[in-house]
Amino acid sequence: MTTVSSDSANPVSSRFGWSDLLTRLGPLIGLLFVLVLFSILEPQKFLRLNNFELILRQTAVVGTAALGMTLIIISGGIDLSVGSAIALHTVVIALLLRGGIPALGAATGGIIVAALCGCLIGLLITRLKLAPFIITLGMWGSLRGTAKGLADNSMVYPPGTFLNELLRPLSPDHIWLLTPGAWMMLLLAVLVAAMLRYTRFGRHIFAIGSNEQTARLCGINVEWTKLRIYMLAAALAGVAGLLQFSYLTMGDPTTATGMELDVIAAVVIGGASLSGGQGSILGSLVGALIMTIVSNGCTKMELDNWVQEIVTGGIIILAVTLDRLRHRRTV
Amino acid sequence: MIETIDRTCYLRKGKIMRKLAVLACIGAILGLFSCGKEEPSGPKKLTIAVIPKGTTHVFWKSVEAGAKKAGAELDVNIIWKGPLKESDRADQIKLVEQFIAEGVDGIVLAPLDFEALARPVQSAMERNIPVVVFDSALRGEPGRDFVSFVATNNRKGGQMAGEQLAKLLNEKGKVVLLRYAVGSASTEEREAGFLEVMKQKPDITMLVDNRYGGATVGEAKNESMKLIDQLKEADGVFCPNESSTLGMLGALRDNGLAGKTTFVGFDATPPLVEALRQGHIKALVAQDPTRMGYEGVKTVVAHLKGQSVPPVVDTGVRLVTPENLNDPEMKKFLGQE
Repeated sequence: MTTVSSDSANPVSSRFGWSDLLTRLGPLIGLLFVLVLFSILEPQKFLRLNNFELILRQTAVVGTAALGMTLIIISGGIDLSVGSAIALHTVVIALLLRGGIPALGAATGGIIVAALCGCLIGLLITRLKLAPFIITLGMWGSLRGTAKGLADNSMVYPPGTFLNELLRPLSPDHIWLLTPGAWMMLLLAVLVAAMLRYTRFGRHIFAIGSNEQTARLCGINVEWTKLRIYMLAAALAGVAGLLQFSYLTMGDPTTATGMELDVIAAVVIGGASLSGGQGSILGSLVGALIMTIVSNGCTKMELDNWVQEIVTGGIIILAVTLDRLRHRRTV
Repeated sequence: MIETIDRTCYLRKGKIMRKLAVLACIGAILGLFSCGKEEPSGPKKLTIAVIPKGTTHVFWKSVEAGAKKAGAELDVNIIWKGPLKESDRADQIKLVEQFIAEGVDGIVLAPLDFEALARPVQSAMERNIPVVVFDSALRGEPGRDFVSFVATNNRKGGQMAGEQLAKLLNEKGKVVLLRYAVGSASTEEREAGFLEVMKQKPDITMLVDNRYGGATVGEAKNESMKLIDQLKEADGVFCPNESSTLGMLGALRDNGLAGKTTFVGFDATPPLVEALRQGHIKALVAQDPTRMGYEGVKTVVAHLKGQSVPPVVDTGVRLVTPENLNDPEMKKFLGQE
């Protein structure tokens, strides 16, 4: 918000479109960097069409969840419960399928349950007036427990349906057609980005994140907006849960442990600020891609798991540091 | 004045940024070109990916040692890579997919789930990447849906434990079985084998045989504590894996029953072997993880070389008792090799 408005207010900036562009493309440069890096280090294994298809496919779950997380983080909030929520949704979908509900109904049911979880989180945050960090930390445990309880402390194996095919290539011979799941992620990304940019709701999200008091004084119904943000974000996490279900082909209450941190990292690498008011959908998707590429590349390089974990951590810190440095210079 | 300085600053920065961007683009293009290049291909070394359930347990370290030993003997390249998060099914599926995309020559996999890993294995087989499953079962028929199943004969292991417990009890008494977890194929086989033997003994009655300890040591201990009345009454106890045995051991020790109740467990990790030395456990059924890793790699390489391989490979179980604990040949079963 701040950068956008200062750009338009500053007549000089139009003459330096390049650096402005680079600021916005920051995460993309990071993406290019990791791509080039692994292409040089492992050209044989990394640079393959089916590897890029795979990277996109394996980004779908985190990427979709990151769409919702972006909205929350722009509004100055955070959601630590998204990993647990995804596990819960896989269980709900599996249980509905096992109960004889048709596939489409089960998928919709899962997303509705997700939205209700988001509604609950939103209500708790706005009614109890507690920090989202605390509320969602509580939900992180509660939702995981609910998932385990519903699944009777076990795995839920449903009958096979077309939902299992969402993260399989549309056609093995034409790998560039990608998977339905990747298309879902991209389509949702376009929709959410458009909403963020062109609707009043989208503007309000930025306004609340930039300065909640000012937003309130400007006549924005902050509570109602927040409630809608958490519901929408949770529904997107519901779609992520559907994709995770499709990936596992079953309901697993222990899945996606710690995934909330991957999602938050993706959003932050994408240029969002944890203090709110800043962030973009494109950036978050790029952030999610960077995370997948690093893990993919590390496996290709046959690095040990412990090395990979250190490298991933380092990249998060590096990416955000560079982003902040760039902002300090240009603003 | 100040504005012009500012402006030149911006200009300079813009130039630097532009240069950086151009460099990055060149790098990217170079990178893309290099993919077209083919490496000079001589007689290529085979590359086998070995995927365990986790990487930090003692058990998997032994598997790794076995796999690497086979790799050195057969002159193949071994990639040892487990899921980043221990026991994360989605992570393991990701790894299998990644190795398929990478085009390794063969995969040796210990599936975290009977169902969830079936599809990735199927797509590997469809792409002519042979998969050998080890340690835990996978849905499908060995020899058709995947090359071979290399594992402990779990039923035999359970029967062995049953026979030993019956012998120690002089074929009579009351027995408690604490099961491991719902849906775990390998331990269910052990429990079935154990119960089979118990049923054949007319003077042995089962006090408890329907309780599950759960996936962790803590849960197993809690569950054992709940069974304390039955444990006090029981003459013998059996648990089908490492975590349930450890949990039960904790409960028996806390209640002063350790050493008094005849306790037979499964797996021979250092704390369990220590308890065996102390007499708190009377016997352990040990698997041979080193051999699992070794045979897994050997089987997939044999298949790749066109030899026919058996659909099921038994890697053997051994009964560990205080008497044979120090035999040199027991070392490999105790993970001390």
